Amino acid sequence: MIEDLFFIEKQTYRKSIIHDLDSRVKIVLCFAAIVAMVAIPYSPLVFPVASAFIIFFLVLWALSRLSPVVYAKRLVTILPFGLFIILVQVFVQNPYYTVFTPIADLPLGLHIYQESVQFATILLLKFLVCISFIILLSSTTRVQDLLEGAGRLGLPAEFTLTLGMMIRYIFVFGYMYRKINESLATRYFRPFDSHLSYRYRLRTMAYTIGTLFIRSYEQGERTYMAMLCRGYGRESHLYIRKKPVLLRDYAFLAAGLLVVIFTPVLAWLSPSGLI
Amino acid sequence: MHIPDAFIPLPQAAVYWIIALIFIALSLRWARNEMRDEKVPLVAVLAAGIFAIQAVNVPIPWGTSGHMAGAALAAIVLGSPFAAVFVLTLVLIVQGVIFGDGGITVMGANIINMGVVAGFVGYYSFQGLNAAIKNPYPAAFIAGWLSLFVAALVTAVEMAVAGTFPLELGLISMGLYHAVIGVIEGGITAVALYLIYTARPDLLPQPRGVSG
Repeated sequence: MIEDLFFIEKQTYRKSIIHDLDSRVKIVLCFAAIVAMVAIPYSPLVFPVASAFIIFFLVLWALSRLSPVVYAKRLVTILPFGLFIILVQVFVQNPYYTVFTPIADLPLGLHIYQESVQFATILLLKFLVCISFIILLSSTTRVQDLLEGAGRLGLPAEFTLTLGMMIRYIFVFGYMYRKINESLATRYFRPFDSHLSYRYRLRTMAYTIGTLFIRSYEQGERTYMAMLCRGYGRESHLYIRKKPVLLRDYAFLAAGLLVVIFTPVLAWLSPSGLI
Repeated sequence: MHIPDAFIPLPQAAVYWIIALIFIALSLRWARNEMRDEKVPLVAVLAAGIFAIQAVNVPIPWGTSGHMAGAALAAIVLGSPFAAVFVLTLVLIVQGVIFGDGGITVMGANIINMGVVAGFVGYYSFQGLNAAIKNPYPAAFIAGWLSLFVAALVTAVEMAVAGTFPLELGLISMGLYHAVIGVIEGGITAVALYLIYTARPDLLPQPRGVSG
C-alpha cells in the first residue's frame, strides 16, 4: 500500500476546479455521500440512489481532469476484500429477505438465489460509491491539506498533531521501504523465491521488519529530541492557519449537499414503490 | 481484515464508533500518563513505521502471502495494550481516508478489531505465556498468532451481526485464513522482538524472560 503513496500524492498536485476547492468542502461532501449511501437500508432503493451518486461522482471526476486510469488503478488495489465478501453473498441466504428463490443449482449442494444476487448487487453498488468518493477525496487533496481541513473542521488538537507527525514520516518510511526493497533485490533476495529455504526467507523478512521498527523508533526519538530543542512541550499543538471559506466553495458545497441529501429523499418519496 | 464501508449498517457502525472512541480516549490518557504527553510525537513516528511494516509482504509456505498487523508487536514493545490502540488508530485513519483500505463509517469496528482486540489479546497472552514458560520468543509467537486469529473471529462475528456474512462460514473462512496468516504475525513478532532485544534492549519496558 505504501508503494501507492507517491502515486496518490502526485495526482493531488494537478490543477482543476476540484483540486482548488477548500479541503473542508471536499471532506464534508465526500463523507456526507458515504454516510448517506451507508444509511440507505439494504433494499432496492439503493439502485436509483447509487446510480445518481455514481453519475455525481463521474461529473466530479471529470471536473478533476484526472485520467480514468488513475481511478481504475486505485480501484483495483481496494476492491479484493470487499469483492470476496460480495461474491460469497450469491451462494448464501441473508437476514434481509424471507423467501429465497434458487435460480441455479451447483455441485456440492450450492445454490444461487435470486434474492442473494440482488443483495450482492446492492452491496456492490454501496461499496463502489463509498470507495469512489474516498478515491476522489484523496486523489484531489494533498495529505497536508486533508489534515489542516480536518483541524479546521474541529478535529481535536491531540489528533492533528500526532496525525501530522505520522503523515510526515509516512513519506520518509515510504522512501525507506523502497530502499530496503532495492537493497534486498541487489543481493538477489526475493521473498517468494522457493529455491531459498522458507526459514531463511522468514528470518530475513523478520529482520527487515525488526529493522524498520527500530529505525522508526529511533527516528521518533530524534524527532522528539529535535522538537524539545525547539521548545516543544505539553501545550504544543499543530499551528493551523485560519482560512476563510470562499463564496465559490460555499456554493459548491451547497450544490453537492443538495444532491447527496435530496437524491435519497426523492427516491424514497417516488411513487414507483421502491421501498 | 479491514471491513469496508457499507458492510455494516449505520446504527451498528455508530455503536462500534462509540466503543472505539472510549478506547481511543483511554489510549490518549495512557499516552499522557505513561509515555508523558511530550513523548506522543515518538509514538506518532512509530505509527508511520508500523504503517510501512504492514506494507511488507511475506510469503506463506502454502503459496499465498500476508502482511503484519503489528498490534501485538507495538503492545509488547511499548508495554501496554493501549499503545496498540493508539498506534493502530492512527494507522487505520490514514489507511481509510487516504488509501480507502477500510471504511469511514466502519472505522470504529476496524479500530476495535485491529487495535483493541489484537492489542489486548497480543499483550496479555504475551504477559501470561512469558510468565509461564519464561521465554519471550515462543510467547511472542503465540501472542502474535493469537492476536490476529481472535481479531479475525471478532470481525466474522461483527459481519454476522450486520447480516452481511453468515456466522458459520465467516468463522471458518476468516478463522482458517487468519490461522495461516497468523503464522507470519507470530513468526515476525518473535524474530523482530529478538532483534530489538539484541539491538536496543533499552527500548523494552521489562527485562527479558530468559536468563543470560
